[in-house]
Parts: sequence; structure tokens; C-alpha cells
Amino acid sequence: MGTAEQNLAFERLVRPHFDRLYRLAWRLTGAKAEAEDLFQELLIKAFGKLDDLVEIDEPASWLCRVMYNLFIDEQRRFARRRLHTVEEGHLPGDGLEGMPGAEDPVRENERIEQLMRLDNALAQLSDEHRIVVLLHDTEGYKLTEIQELTGTPVGTVKSRLHRARARLREILLADGTIS
Amino acid sequence: MQNDDTNRQDQEVLELLKDYPMPAADAGFYDQALVRATHEGSRRQRNRWMLTGFGTAIAATIAVWMIGGMLLSNPQLPTADSAIPGVTMALAEPRTVNLVFASATPLDSATLTVTLPDGIELDGFPGQREISWETSLNEGKNLLPLTLVALTPTGGELLARLEHDDRDRTFRLRVDVTNDQPERTSG
Repeated sequence: MGTAEQNLAFERLVRPHFDRLYRLAWRLTGAKAEAEDLFQELLIKAFGKLDDLVEIDEPASWLCRVMYNLFIDEQRRFARRRLHTVEEGHLPGDGLEGMPGAEDPVRENERIEQLMRLDNALAQLSDEHRIVVLLHDTEGYKLTEIQELTGTPVGTVKSRLHRARARLREILLADGTIS
Repeated sequence: MQNDDTNRQDQEVLELLKDYPMPAADAGFYDQALVRATHEGSRRQRNRWMLTGFGTAIAATIAVWMIGGMLLSNPQLPTADSAIPGVTMALAEPRTVNLVFASATPLDSATLTVTLPDGIELDGFPGQREISWETSLNEGKNLLPLTLVALTPTGGELLARLEHDDRDRTFRLRVDVTNDQPERTSG
């Protein structure tokens, strides 16, 4: 353990950003176990940089960038999501279980099936395309925020977003999710 | 008309993406993660200090341990599923194929390397002939979806090489490409 003062200072700096960081971890990895691993690894790394962290004006942006770089550095490890058991079907994103109920269960079931097919379609994208489309279209990141996070020029981010959406449209058209 | 259809479809995709859910973290996860971070972070700091002093001796010990581990383990590597001997795809049309690996036992830290024939690319990996992942296999059937794009009509053999410790097995998939123009619908 670090000293009690160190632990307290660390918690004060990072805890306000936990939800944002957890969401980013989930969107990067696409699965719960890997998201938790990535989140944990970020905190361990950040604790080791506590002296730097206290000097940073925007710790949330810094933490997000460190998390993204960790993900890229250990992409082979986190790429485990690509391989999953047949018994799990195409449910790599078990987040679908967390959907709230609705008044019309039939429509709700249809929506869940559509989202399962979206889940399957997203799994077919490359990481760079999947991440851009999820951060922009699902999480609401601006193009410049994705540029800052990933270090990728805005033009490239836009191009990836366009290609990712086109590929999703193609897959979802082919399986009848959209018409 | 086609543009209208495309715009409407894009809107449907966007609406789905906006609804794409993500569960909240488990209760207590943040607190546990925080405790582990302060504990593990401190331990790593101590280890860094120790490595500075005793780096050579520790590195030698780790090397011996890894070799010992490799010699001791003798897992049963999975066999290729005979249900996927080959696939036919149209030129320039992405096609997702599922490679199925049946494994008798769980395998951790296996490396899967996909080698593509000339003229075939993995969607999202332009120009790469060989792509590797570290992965783990569960007992039973394991699925690897690969979206392929044929750039030339040549076709060929896709190789998926699975390595675990000092053992490996190569799976082959025949990829044939037709020159047929893909069907297109007009709006």
C-alpha cells in the first residue's frame, strides 16, 4: 500500500472520472472482462504516476489518453474478444442484458434482437473503425475529441467514421435488420 | 431514390448505435479496483527498485521458469472443424467467414496467425498479409469471424496457424473468387 495520504490524494483525483473511464474501457474492448482489466490496468499505471497526475489540469483527458494508449499497446491481449465460444452465440457485448424493460414486450424483444445483430456487425469491423463509430455515434465524442484521444488526424477520423457506418449499413442490410 | 434509401438506412443505423447499451459497472467494482491499484501500484514501484539492483539475477530466474513451464505443459491442440473446407466470394464484395476451432481443453495465451493469399485482404487491415492475435480458447467450439475482401480473382489458400507453447497447428481454408458482379438493388 502507498501511504494513506497518497491513497487519499489518488482517490480524490481519479474517482470523479470513473464512469467516463469505464464507459471508454467498455467501448474500446467490447466486453466486460476486458473492460474491467483495462480499467484496472489504467488505475495501476496512474497510481505509479501520481506525482505527475497532481500537476495535470485536466486529469480526465489525460486518463483517457493513457487508457487508449494502454489499449493500443496491449491490443493483442485485449483482442481476445475476437474469439468467443459458439455457445455464447453472437453476444460478445453482454451489455444487452442491461437494457431496461419497456411497456411493449414484443417491440422490446424486436429491439433487443436488432441490437444483438448490431453487436454482431460491430464485431466484424476492425478495431479502428469500431472504436471511432462507437465513440462518435454512441458516446457522442466530437471528432476533435477523438483526434485528441487517439492522436489520429481529424481527416482520418472522418474517413474511418464514414467507412465504418457504410460497412455497418451493408451488414445490417444483408441480415435484414434495416431495409 | 437510391440516395434517399441510403440516407434513411444511415439514419436507422445511427438510431441503433445511439441505443447500443452498456451496463454500469458492478456494485463495488470501483472500490475494489481502487484498492487493487494502490496495492499493486506500490508493489510495482518496489519491484522497479529491486530490479534496478538485482536485474540480471532476476531476469535469469524468469527465463529458467519460462522454459520449465513450456516443457511441463503439453496441451491437446484443437482440430479444424471439417464444416468449413472452403468459401466462394465475389470480387470486391466483403464476405464474412467464420472459422471454427474445436478444442478438447481450454487454452490460455495461444497465438493465432492468419496468413492471407495474394489478392485477399482482411477488412480493416489493408495491405497486411499476416495478422496475429493473442487469444484464449474455451473447451468446445470457438468462433473467429473474419471479413475478407477479394481484390483480384486469383483466390488461394488462407492459413490460420494456432500456436500454444511450443506446439502449433495450421488450419487451411480454400478461398475461391468469382468475377460475378454483385447484385444491386435500385431505389
